[in-house]
Amino acid sequence: MSDAYLALEDGRVIEARGRAPGRTRGELVFTTAYTGYEESLTDPSYEEQVLTFSYPLIGNYGVRSERFESDRVHPRAAIAREFTDDVAEWLAEEGVPAIDHLDTRELVTSIREEGAMRCGLAVGPDATPADAKAELDACKGMSEHVDIGAQVSVEEPTVHEGGSAATVAMIDCGAKGSIAESLLERDATVHVLPYDATPADVAAVDPDLLFISNGPGDPENFEAAEALVDEFVGDLPIAGICLGQQVVANALGGSTEKMDFGHRGVNQPVRDLDTDRVVMTTQNHGYTVGEPGDELNVTQVNVNDGTAEGLENEDLGVITRQYHPEAHPGPNDSLDFFDDVLDLVSTDTPVATSD
Amino acid sequence: MTDEATVADTSATESENRTILLIGSGPIQIGQAAEFDYSGAQACRALQEEGARVVLVNSNPATIMTDPEMADRVYIEPITTTAIAEIIRQEQPDGVIAGLGGQTGLNVTAELAEEGVLEEHDVEIMGTPLDTIYATEDRDLFRQRMEKIGQPVPASTTIVLDDDESAEAMSEDALRDRVAAAVDEVGGLPVIARTTYTLGGSGSGVVDDMDKLVERVRKGLRLSRNDEVLITESIAGWVELEYEVMRDADDSTIIICNMENIDPMGIHTGESVVVTPSQVIPDEGHQEMRDAALEVIRELGIQGGCNIQFAWHDDGTPGGEYRVVEVNPRVSRSSALASKATGYPIARVTAKVALGKRLHEIENEITGETTAAFEPAIDYVVTKVPRWPIDKFDDVDFTLGPAMKSTGEAMSIGRTFEESLLKALRSSEYEPAVDWIDVDDETLEQEYLERPSPDRPYAIFEAFDRGYTVESVVETTDIKEWYVERFKRVSESVAAAAEGDFTEAAVKGVTNAEIASTAGTDVGSVEASVPGRTYKQVDTCAGEFAAQTPYYYSSRKPEFVTGPFEGDAAAGELRVDRDVESVVVVGGGPIRIGQGVEFDYCSVHAIQALREEGVDAHVVNNNPETVSTDYDTSDGLFFEPITAEEVADVIEAADADGVMVQFGGQTSVNIGHPLEAELERRGLDCEILGTSVDAMDLAEDRDRFNRLMDDRGIAQPEGGSATSEQEALELATDIGYPVLVRPSYVLGGRAMDVVYDDEELKEYIEEAVRVSPDKPILIDEFLDDAVELDVDAVADGEDVLIGGVMEHVESAGVHSGDSACMIPPQADAVRDVMDRVREVTLEIARELDTVGLLNVQLAVKDGTVYVLEANPRSSRTVPFVSKATGVPIAKLAAKVMAGDDLADLDVEEQIPEQVSVKEVVLPFDRLEGSDPRLGPEMKSTGEVMGTAQHFGKAYEKAQSATGKAIPTTGTAVVDLSAAEFPAPDTEAGQALLDGFGEFFDVQEFDDLRGAIRAGEVDVIVSRNREALEVAVEEDVTYFSTHASATAVLEGLRHHDDPIDVQAISDRPKQQTQWGGE
Repeated sequence: MSDAYLALEDGRVIEARGRAPGRTRGELVFTTAYTGYEESLTDPSYEEQVLTFSYPLIGNYGVRSERFESDRVHPRAAIAREFTDDVAEWLAEEGVPAIDHLDTRELVTSIREEGAMRCGLAVGPDATPADAKAELDACKGMSEHVDIGAQVSVEEPTVHEGGSAATVAMIDCGAKGSIAESLLERDATVHVLPYDATPADVAAVDPDLLFISNGPGDPENFEAAEALVDEFVGDLPIAGICLGQQVVANALGGSTEKMDFGHRGVNQPVRDLDTDRVVMTTQNHGYTVGEPGDELNVTQVNVNDGTAEGLENEDLGVITRQYHPEAHPGPNDSLDFFDDVLDLVSTDTPVATSD
Repeated sequence: MTDEATVADTSATESENRTILLIGSGPIQIGQAAEFDYSGAQACRALQEEGARVVLVNSNPATIMTDPEMADRVYIEPITTTAIAEIIRQEQPDGVIAGLGGQTGLNVTAELAEEGVLEEHDVEIMGTPLDTIYATEDRDLFRQRMEKIGQPVPASTTIVLDDDESAEAMSEDALRDRVAAAVDEVGGLPVIARTTYTLGGSGSGVVDDMDKLVERVRKGLRLSRNDEVLITESIAGWVELEYEVMRDADDSTIIICNMENIDPMGIHTGESVVVTPSQVIPDEGHQEMRDAALEVIRELGIQGGCNIQFAWHDDGTPGGEYRVVEVNPRVSRSSALASKATGYPIARVTAKVALGKRLHEIENEITGETTAAFEPAIDYVVTKVPRWPIDKFDDVDFTLGPAMKSTGEAMSIGRTFEESLLKALRSSEYEPAVDWIDVDDETLEQEYLERPSPDRPYAIFEAFDRGYTVESVVETTDIKEWYVERFKRVSESVAAAAEGDFTEAAVKGVTNAEIASTAGTDVGSVEASVPGRTYKQVDTCAGEFAAQTPYYYSSRKPEFVTGPFEGDAAAGELRVDRDVESVVVVGGGPIRIGQGVEFDYCSVHAIQALREEGVDAHVVNNNPETVSTDYDTSDGLFFEPITAEEVADVIEAADADGVMVQFGGQTSVNIGHPLEAELERRGLDCEILGTSVDAMDLAEDRDRFNRLMDDRGIAQPEGGSATSEQEALELATDIGYPVLVRPSYVLGGRAMDVVYDDEELKEYIEEAVRVSPDKPILIDEFLDDAVELDVDAVADGEDVLIGGVMEHVESAGVHSGDSACMIPPQADAVRDVMDRVREVTLEIARELDTVGLLNVQLAVKDGTVYVLEANPRSSRTVPFVSKATGVPIAKLAAKVMAGDDLADLDVEEQIPEQVSVKEVVLPFDRLEGSDPRLGPEMKSTGEVMGTAQHFGKAYEKAQSATGKAIPTTGTAVVDLSAAEFPAPDTEAGQALLDGFGEFFDVQEFDDLRGAIRAGEVDVIVSRNREALEVAVEEDVTYFSTHASATAVLEGLRHHDDPIDVQAISDRPKQQTQWGGE
């Protein structure tokens, strides 16, 4: 008999083996990366989601905190064909339910066909299918998590002292640790500010650059960050990654939309429209920029579905990426994005501070 | 014409008017198997899609790529500069693609460039430039390039001979000094000694002893094309990884996949169990190596596919530490594996990139909605297990090391490592020749766990059965704990199955039949209580996109599901059409001696024929090197072990109406009986097509077959079977020595021998009984001096079409698979009995109710035609016959098996006007200690074909195609002391001596071995094993039979004939019957 149940929006209840107990719910998504489970499980963008690994065997090289992207596990629950004991124990300690010994390929293809869906889990010796269904019934859609930023952001401003290349105000909408690290490696000092920081909070750190981080859920729920972009555009160079790109687009006259099941993996091909070169990128997003608006140009596109992967306005000093140039997990093909970002500061950007 | 049209025209003609020369890899040999048939065939299609005119050259007739319809012009000619220069003169190609024909293709292209042939005819080298090839093959140069871009390589140095030095002449002390200095430079023993410019790392090894190292270096210097041996820091024990990389001219660069060797660094990747994707490397380490791979491919300027090897170990940092070990700037065995493991067609993309296409402009045919500019995502585990010819070479030590000894490999796909591993081991069709009960713990540890050998995976299971801990097995094997732990889980699940708990074993990948036999119960009750198999798709994207291509593997459902699947549920993700007529073709599994690429050729032809007939053709096979397992060859590709249970599952899932077991060699024939029983047990409405399983059986059962022949008045060598030594001795005396002895069920001539007296017979019986305990041995009259023939025919139950009659060069006493042969026969003795040959073939076809292929082996002596063997199934000569005559008999066979009549197929027998010779390639130089004499046991790995107006020239061409051309001048040793040869004082003996005297200075040496070592001998005729072993080592041409020595003289006499290079479609044939007119 099984001790774990997964209830799906389409009515199915799937039996599995419990690996970490608990009851929970969330939006069921999948990633196709086969390495980088520690990084993915600690990526704040998975907040309120249940993460399914397409790759069947997860946990093969253990668990080490130096590979974490934040200080806790973010998905509500984790699903694989088989977790190692190392990962199962870690998830249990973190109180994150986990299940395995189910046909995860069938689950993944269901998500592909039916879209990212709500689900409920019940895991433990006395778990029942009804418990899982009850969790499903209580499950909200991603856009309904209106205050999701508060769950993943720093509460107080913190500073990572780096060098003098630039002072960056990074709005933490659920930032992966590697973003700040990539900037620090390039001699920048990074002020991490809460997701709901005010223009005054930003001005207080006297930044050379405004950086909107990645984060979970619907970009429309990050109104404060959008307002910051609106406030500082033209005065400060602005950069964004993932949800950051979406927030920037919304602020500058563009629009965003929810995708069927998003892009999650480390093999998303992105073509630069200028050089015609294709690079592999890490992605984790369920929303995308639909219309970039009048201010922004699409400079990079996804080779598979043509969605906007890079936006730019040279005059205003704005560049954003939908994918994750900071890697962790995934390819380092686009690390030079951070050089380009810092170039916005060092080169004579048309920033209108002299006005 | 408008401007617009002109522009459009120019871009289209860029490749449309171009003629591209594609060079194949020649015969199957250790280190270079069928993978280049697969990649070459795929490239031909890709180039033609782009509008190029393709000229193909390969010496190997058993390949699909040499089918006349594969390219615009197909040449089956030696891969030598002489022959290819002639082809270039005739075809005037614009470009040559060198990176698709393995080391052979690369080497000959380099030679053509060096000789100025390419420049003279304005032939461009397409794709990766020659400089890159040199930079990767010359390890010193390679190290410099890596150091330039800051990539870490193992410490190494080369030992190089100066122009005035030779490995033979150098004194022991001088060489020792040189070696000692090199060892110091890389940090002391142990070191790895490698020879540059050789196939599959021949002459390489990890050495921890100075004396051995000096010997190894001397040998390496002799073998090396550029007089170099590389001495490298041993990074034994590190994880060995390979990355497959692809780059286009705009510098879009991607990784197709990585592969992790289970066996630690120090064992050639071709010898290791390999898993895709990597399991024990953290993301950060993986990305560091990925970055390094991209940087290296850019530095080298490679365009197309490329393979990079790394060594990695966990040094405590988040990403670990790595070294760049080697780069293969071309499509390779590993790239074939990577293509099959991921669905990414590396050869196809390489060919298009060579024509100037960008990755994002090339469609991903698997998904139909993505492009070649992506990195495949995998959601399964792939395991490759090599297959070694250990059963054929008693004298060879099969300790695995840095040089290849395996002939082929099997690949499998599963959802867990355990499932994948067990499927791969099953697919390799290997059983250790060891009874574990007789092995004590100490021997188990030292001989089977610590010492890497083909038996090691099985020894690990045995260790866990004995209660060993994971820790101790990790320690003795140096295999990572993650893997060892999973071996243990398999052992535990099998132990549980023996106690009646079947589920775990089933989920771990054990078959229902195996569980039933372990538990002593019937398959039905196992099947009812364990999860069934469903089929998953290989889609390149881990489920992210809906794939279009029918490429599948099976997996058990997790333990919460019980019982077999039926109907649509059995079909899982299959997109095959269950409502149309469909047939499953059973393939041949891994390449091994006795079962080479020819059976893949036959399987592919069967698939093509069925599709031409409008029948959906599915294939079950597990060899990643082959055309049959390419994703667009069949209507349903099932990458599965070939067992009755798993084939029956495929039949059930695809709802197939028929199954063909004739084409995949012994592998497919062997499942005929059990499959018939399994289909019956399940009540499946599926027929085994063609000749009945019972008739195939009859042909293999000597007694039944003997009686049948006697009834029909067809002569056979006198013989019988014996169940005891006494009986055997009496029978042999009755028949008269020498006699041919063999076990009753003959597998590719296994354990067959000619014995000359009672003593030898007694010795043989001891061994034969060990080989096959419950079967009697067969003793036959040995037809001395007979001419042997092979006949391949097709029958439809009514009519018979003879594909061709071949005369063997070597006769009785040499295995038919090792004998050179010619078509059409040249001996007058054969021409005189051709009518009888036809009569006998037709009679046997009818008696066996043959529907499909039939191979008959005959011997002609004193005007009588004897039947040696008949096999109503595909034979290894089928492709050779088809290429020589132009009659595609495998296709015809599949069509008659599907219900057609020969009379309706509009086909006639054809006899070629020229002579084609098939010659074999032998692996002795790879297998130290092997007996280099031809005999009744088959030892060859592959074959080549040479065609000319006269037998002599055709034989000479075939010899040069094997890579061992007949020398034309110098010193010959003609040692006729063995019984095989005529005595020197006989007329025949004198003819040989005089014949060689015409061309060579014939000498005798007191110390023949010394003379060979000193380079004083150019050609040897002898059966002196010790001397021939030295000849193998020294790469001196030799002939070990009277027949081949005679043929060599014919070759020499026709040496000055024109080389006669012609496309196969241009070679003249007559529409005439073989005999009977």
